[in-house]
Amino acid sequence: MLSLVPWILAHPGVTIPELAARFEIDERQIERDLELLPMCGLPPYTADRLIDVWVADDGAVTVRLAEYFERPLRLTPAEGIGLVAAGRALLAVPGADQRGPLATALEKLEDALGARGGVAVDVGDTGELERLQEAVAARQQLEIDYFSFARDEMTTRVVDPMRVFHAFGEWYLGAYCHRAEADRLFRVDRIRAVRPTGEAIAPERADASDELDDVVYTPSPDDLRVTLRVGPEAAWVAEELPVESVTPRAKGRVDVVLPVSAVGFLERLLLGLGSDAEVVAPREARSIAADAASRVLERYERAS
Amino acid sequence: MTDRVERLVNLTATLLDTRRPLTLDDLAERLEPAYPSDKAAQRRAFERDKETLRDLGVPITIETIDALGGEQGYRIRPEDYYLPELALAAEERAALHVAVTAVRLFGGAGREGLRKLGGFEGTGAAPLAHLESTPALAELFDAVAKRRVVTFEYRGETRRLEPYGVVHRFGHWYVVGRDQDREAPRAFRVERIEGEPSAGDAGGFVPPPEVDPAEYLRADPMTYGEEEPVEAHVLVDATRAAWVIDELGDDAVVERRDDEAIVVALSVANRAAFRTWVLNLLEHAEVLEPLDLRAEMIEWLRDLVARAK
Repeated sequence: MLSLVPWILAHPGVTIPELAARFEIDERQIERDLELLPMCGLPPYTADRLIDVWVADDGAVTVRLAEYFERPLRLTPAEGIGLVAAGRALLAVPGADQRGPLATALEKLEDALGARGGVAVDVGDTGELERLQEAVAARQQLEIDYFSFARDEMTTRVVDPMRVFHAFGEWYLGAYCHRAEADRLFRVDRIRAVRPTGEAIAPERADASDELDDVVYTPSPDDLRVTLRVGPEAAWVAEELPVESVTPRAKGRVDVVLPVSAVGFLERLLLGLGSDAEVVAPREARSIAADAASRVLERYERAS
Repeated sequence: MTDRVERLVNLTATLLDTRRPLTLDDLAERLEPAYPSDKAAQRRAFERDKETLRDLGVPITIETIDALGGEQGYRIRPEDYYLPELALAAEERAALHVAVTAVRLFGGAGREGLRKLGGFEGTGAAPLAHLESTPALAELFDAVAKRRVVTFEYRGETRRLEPYGVVHRFGHWYVVGRDQDREAPRAFRVERIEGEPSAGDAGGFVPPPEVDPAEYLRADPMTYGEEEPVEAHVLVDATRAAWVIDELGDDAVVERRDDEAIVVALSVANRAAFRTWVLNLLEHAEVLEPLDLRAEMIEWLRDLVARAK
């Protein structure tokens, strides 16, 4: 409610539907707030001290006697960083207008918060990003050369690009893949080449998912479940990977159950963790770290 | 419920309008809907209101009033309450609307902020980016803005930092600034901070002029560390060469071999991060020098093999 009042004071005659649209608040809620407001004011709550609200038949709202709410409440730190970081992130996307309204709005905002230059957001710039964005906008079918990191192999596939987005520090292409005959996500930095097929994307093809949160790796029931025992140094595994359970064990260690879709991912994870982690189950996965380590070691021993 | 909202609005208006701090007695006497008359219940209800307003970001100042024998008085200082005049143009509000819809973080706090700035102009945008939201970030941002020294636990040590900025990179937030004990610039990953950081008084330090927080994190995590940087050479197979060049840039390549394998040079100040990076390439890469780094890698791999036996 306290966000509405400064706006109404500055724009007398604004209508309830306009307010509802501008603040994305239900019209009924705004009406309720406006009914409450005339009961508010300053002691001793006589007519000249209460806020005066007038709603005309056409829904035009006027508020008087609320000078102390003339200017908005300052932003909380979370609101401040929420706005500034979102703006800085968007400005960092390749192709953003560095002198446009977003840039000037951010300067004003940062100055008001006292944080000029205090927030930097890097979303990376990845080779084919702009071409992929253009293809999404133009509904252009593409053939891409894609390196599957987890499976450690190079593939060529025809895709219908649906959207491009940034999450967890990487750019992704969400597309319908004709080879897999399903929606797939591709890391943009692993797309080596992009060629238009000359075909347009079929009009009925639509972006199936619109939430970013669940798309990056959605464990499938068929994925292998690996139980890892990790030491205190590797506690981040439990926090940062999509583990399905965490069970404390002796000496500050924890057992985590991790869904794994490709063995390459697990090999890299285990090689990096070293003696901070071991596979407890399933039995056939216990030797994964040692097998991968011997493969890598072989090249050192061959060379020396 | 309505009564409570009404009283919160009235309390805000009264504390904002007053020129002198008001005691709880003053408020109980004047405010409507009235606080309970029982003193203990009155205090509880008032503390609850105060808490709610704090959470909404309404800054209530507590002052000791000498004339009343040291009793506590409350008010909201206008300079604490009001947003400075931003004079945003409609197109600037529209641009911020696009930003908060395209970039997701902090469960919509940015959208709440935009309401205060005059609401949602224009149509917004489809989601484009998702940034990590880490609870301590808001407090660190406040410390940057207000120049507060922050103290926190990090990898088992207490750090005192003059925060110059917060930086998002590689999908993570970092706070950068001057470490007071080490008397040197440092960067810390925000989600690795243990517990809540505590912030000192506003104006607790003076940042250098024209500081660019991004400079503190220019390169990869492996070049950023506490160790003396060494130059390492890594041999990368032809099949992985293109990615590594994408990541490190052409300048990193010090040798191109006949089989299209490459040798890249890296500045390493964090051996653990370096090892992880090389091992991510599995058997397609090999540390060539310095020899002690190469020996460490061999030992690391032999340990892994030995453990399975």
